[in-house]
Amino acid sequence: MSIIEVRNLSKTFVTKDGTVNALQGINFTVEEGDIYGIIGMSGAGKSTLVRCLNYLEVPTSGDVRIEGQDLKTLSEKELRTLRSSVAMIFQSFNLLMQKSVIDNVMFPLQLAHVAKDEARTKARQLLSTVGLSDKENAFPAQLSGGQKQRVAIARALASNPKILLCDEATSALDPQTTNSILQLLKKINQDTGITIVIITHQMSVVREICHHVAIVEKGHIVENGAVEEIFTHPKSHAAKMLIIEGKDPDEWEKEQGQISGSDPTVPILHEAKRIRIVFNTQSSFEPVIANMILHFHTPVNILKADTKDVGGVARGEMILGLPEGEQMQSDMIDYIKARGLDVEVLQEEVTGNVR
Amino acid sequence: MFDEAVVSMILQGIVDTLYMTLVSTLFGYVIGLPWGIALAVTDKEGIRPNSVAYRILDVAANILRSIPFLILLILVIPLTRAIVGKSTGATATIVPLVISAAPFIARMVESSIKEVDKGVIEAAQSMGASTMQIIMKVLLVESRVSLISGVTIAIGTILGYSAMAGTVGGGGLGDIAVRYGYYRYQLDIMIVTVVLLVLLEQVFQSVGMLIAKKLDRRIV
Repeated sequence: MSIIEVRNLSKTFVTKDGTVNALQGINFTVEEGDIYGIIGMSGAGKSTLVRCLNYLEVPTSGDVRIEGQDLKTLSEKELRTLRSSVAMIFQSFNLLMQKSVIDNVMFPLQLAHVAKDEARTKARQLLSTVGLSDKENAFPAQLSGGQKQRVAIARALASNPKILLCDEATSALDPQTTNSILQLLKKINQDTGITIVIITHQMSVVREICHHVAIVEKGHIVENGAVEEIFTHPKSHAAKMLIIEGKDPDEWEKEQGQISGSDPTVPILHEAKRIRIVFNTQSSFEPVIANMILHFHTPVNILKADTKDVGGVARGEMILGLPEGEQMQSDMIDYIKARGLDVEVLQEEVTGNVR
Repeated sequence: MFDEAVVSMILQGIVDTLYMTLVSTLFGYVIGLPWGIALAVTDKEGIRPNSVAYRILDVAANILRSIPFLILLILVIPLTRAIVGKSTGATATIVPLVISAAPFIARMVESSIKEVDKGVIEAAQSMGASTMQIIMKVLLVESRVSLISGVTIAIGTILGYSAMAGTVGGGGLGDIAVRYGYYRYQLDIMIVTVVLLVLLEQVFQSVGMLIAKKLDRRIV
């Protein structure tokens, strides 16, 4: 049984200007112990989606099941009990500003009427887990962003949740702090087996720690699956933008508007076909491209070459422009495939800005 | 400068004024605090929206707030008689003061509570906090600095109203100022009482702000 199961979920908001379909026909499942990323640009509906997972937002239709329990069937009291096992951290940390660090961590325990001494002991343990033992009596205003998020993580873990929802938890942090928070989440996932759902607009976050990912665009999941699989074979336009062009979702729209315009920094190229190749660790021993050029006596154009860390494994990717002539093109593709590499023919739309 | 009788009268005036102001503030909050919380909570942006309840509380506050205090003072005389047994003197003045202060306090409490960061409330909800827990452990705690500033403003306003009550025999410094300064043209007594009222207001204001600042953990 999947720990989170979402079926045909839709959410419609009624506003003065009419109805807005924030989410439509969302289906996905998260397995226990997974780190599941949900990526999309702002306004795609991902924050609404994560709030449907603990019913802070009640879906207009569809089911959300946590450990098989359909949230729609729960009474308000049962829902509150469930929420103590589905913790959440936020982009803006949302700590109680008038309470000390330890009081913040003890807060969910007090809500659950845990005895004060017991709560304090537990809070101290958690603060040491997140590396803030020395800040016990500080107030949130005295902490940096990264430290505040660590307190929020300790607070979220206080009720021994089974699921941790992260709503843009690293978006307000600089890259270095982001990385340290992600490492902390990874460690907590490994140590406790907690299931983590991460909402983000940064592909780097997904690549760094997620095992599975769903790409959300305009209220729909356009693609989901294992991060490695999507990285190797992105199918949807959004996934290609994310992975091939290396663009974070916030840049998608800008990019789409620019397709017809010409970018002076990109040279005009006249190759007939473009392909994308992904190297894994085994395939990097043979100089495939160099050998191919020698073999066919025809040059290819290397448009992009990059190495990315996908879930701790180095993945090389390259985009090649192949020369004209269909026979030559398919021979070249066969040549590369014969060497065990993943080849994908790119559509005009992805590389459209070079038109 | 003043004979003993006048001095002891003024001292009694200070005691009466303090008594009226502080007791009225206390009862004003007994009514106004839950009223203001209810306004903030039942608002459509609140944690438990209820448009009917909000409308009733809102209209009630507006009606009471729009009656001039001097008129209210006279209007509630029958009620004052029923509760206190008489309609003049310091204790009798407390009744109209409370009726007038409560909706004003409710509005201040409402606006203090609405200042609380929505994200913090959402965090508490995500932990499974009940409405009551959110009110007691989040809203009142996070807004306490603003609430205490509100108390300071409420005391200042009630102090001023208590002086106004002097015109209808309410007792206290205002009463003395009206009786001696206005009816008997004893300007010196009036000046002394006014100065004393200013000093009292100054003391309440300073102490209130000091407490608010001491309690605020957002300042490093």
